[in-house]
Amino acid sequence: MPDLHLSGIQVLFPGLDAPALHIPELTLPAGGRLAVAGPSGSGKSTLVNVIAGLERPSRGRVLWGGTDIAALSESARDRWRGANIGLVMQDFHLFPGLSALENVLLPARLARVADRAMADRAGELLAEVGLTRPGQKVETLSRGEMQRVAVARALLRQPGVIVADEPTASLDPANAAALGALLDGLAQRTGATLIVVSHDPGLIARLPRRIALAGGLIRDDTERAA
Amino acid sequence: MLRFILADLGRLKAGSFVVVLLIALAVALGTGVTLQERALRLGSARAADRFDLVIGAPGSETQLVLSTVFLQPAALPLVPGEVLAGLQDDPRVAWAAPVGFGDFHRGHPVVGTTTRLIAETAPGFAGGRMFAAEGEAVIGARVDLALGDGITPTHGEIGHDHDEVRYRVVGRLEPTGTPWDRAILVPIQAVWHVHGMEAGHGEEAHDHAEEDHDHDHGHAGFDPDAPLAEDWHDGETPDVPAILVKPASIADAYRLRQDYRVEEGTLAIFPAEVLTNLYGTLGDARQVLAAVAAAAQGLVAAALLLVTITHVGQRRRQIGALRALGAPRGAIFALVWSELFALIACGVALGLVLGWLAARLLSRMIADRQGFDLPVELAAADFAGLGLLLAAAALLAALPAWMAYRQSPVASLRGQA
Repeated sequence: MPDLHLSGIQVLFPGLDAPALHIPELTLPAGGRLAVAGPSGSGKSTLVNVIAGLERPSRGRVLWGGTDIAALSESARDRWRGANIGLVMQDFHLFPGLSALENVLLPARLARVADRAMADRAGELLAEVGLTRPGQKVETLSRGEMQRVAVARALLRQPGVIVADEPTASLDPANAAALGALLDGLAQRTGATLIVVSHDPGLIARLPRRIALAGGLIRDDTERAA
Repeated sequence: MLRFILADLGRLKAGSFVVVLLIALAVALGTGVTLQERALRLGSARAADRFDLVIGAPGSETQLVLSTVFLQPAALPLVPGEVLAGLQDDPRVAWAAPVGFGDFHRGHPVVGTTTRLIAETAPGFAGGRMFAAEGEAVIGARVDLALGDGITPTHGEIGHDHDEVRYRVVGRLEPTGTPWDRAILVPIQAVWHVHGMEAGHGEEAHDHAEEDHDHDHGHAGFDPDAPLAEDWHDGETPDVPAILVKPASIADAYRLRQDYRVEEGTLAIFPAEVLTNLYGTLGDARQVLAAVAAAAQGLVAAALLLVTITHVGQRRRQIGALRALGAPRGAIFALVWSELFALIACGVALGLVLGWLAARLLSRMIADRQGFDLPVELAAADFAGLGLLLAAAALLAALPAWMAYRQSPVASLRGQA
């Protein structure tokens, strides 16, 4: 599992004078569990996009272990992200017409890395997140079940890092609590680094470290004693 | 990947169906035009195959071909009987037979000719035998009559009946795939007698096909039991609309044509040559139709491009999510391209089938009406054309695929440009 080290990060958007994100220094050891909080427009999503290699910062380095992903080409970042990052998004982004199992396997298949063992693992992961019918079409699942499928998909390639952007925002409180517990539990069990962007106090409270952003800057960085 | 494409197309059934149908119709138009034009060419060439040289009176070469090869009713000027007698004795001629028309029976042309012409041009008898007396008739394969049936000809297609004239069907020919399959063949001498024609008294510009024909001819000369005389002598042979000539050799064919072209009062043609000129005109028409079909295909391609580019735009978020989840850009390109190309390929295949079916249907309708087969055949050039079309489609599909390839995953997820 790689450590994360951000240095001199600036993200500028055209037409805006102030950077949308400005982080001189941020370090997260491998296996760390971090909550990113802050009001809307504070730069939370931009931060996770930079961390996940979805967005290249205007300046600075994004070091995962020894690799500066900000310096990689777009295709190389795609490959790196596919192999190292498990992504869970607010809107699930499941593909209708396919079963839960097919959805879990889809990115790996498109990256041509899915094999028999991975298909077996997909089935096991679905069972682990509490899905009993892997052959069910995703459009017939409840929202809570959909997000569980998305979590299983994120974990398929055994990523060293799980990045979740508002994973509970479109769930009811009971499902949100269950999903928070699931994510945290899976990260701890696998030893993966977990980075969660959330407004959900319950989910934030689960994680030992919390940074608060405002206006693209880190205003607060607290770590609870273990 | 295939599952994903199928699931995606499954969700967009109605749209996919319309796209496939549009492409299919545009392709069918082009295919149909090409196939039908070729069928017309092949069919007419086969119909003219046995007509080496035709001699008629001066007039339109095309009309002479249409009247003799395709049995289209028209008023043909007559050739003097001496020409027929002369040809019969010409050493350069293997055989020569008069063709006399103008009468009909239930829409079928009644053609006067000789036993030699039938023996030389028909593949054989499906039933019965050759006519042997003036009142006997042999029918083509597409004539809906039975052996033993009686025929009273009408002068012209809807003219007056030759009431006292009655032929009896004694033979049915094997099909030839030419308009002659619709003909009722009778002895030329019967046609002369029915129309009261004698040597030297041929009617000038005999208006055989005209509806309102009111000339005074008795049928006194017609004797159904009279034996056939198929030897012609100068001064004893009535005039005829056309003479079909089988030259002894190719060189003789050219010499004969030359002689009878120069001679006043006759016109000599090679039907194949006249048809070749007609094909030239037909080819021009085909080019115009092909251009129209190509324009239709171009319009459909443009519409398709618009639809797919809009579609890719609408699916920006989905494409972005796939990229974010680790699908490589190449896979995104392949997905969009394959999906679009699959639709186009389906449309092209369906269009090919539709075009072929339409050409077959049209050919059958023409065959039923005109009596000659129009063979609808696919040629290697058609597949080359389709290959070209598919290559163009592959390029066309690459444009939206390229746009999807170029989309930044994070911008796509945000729903921004």
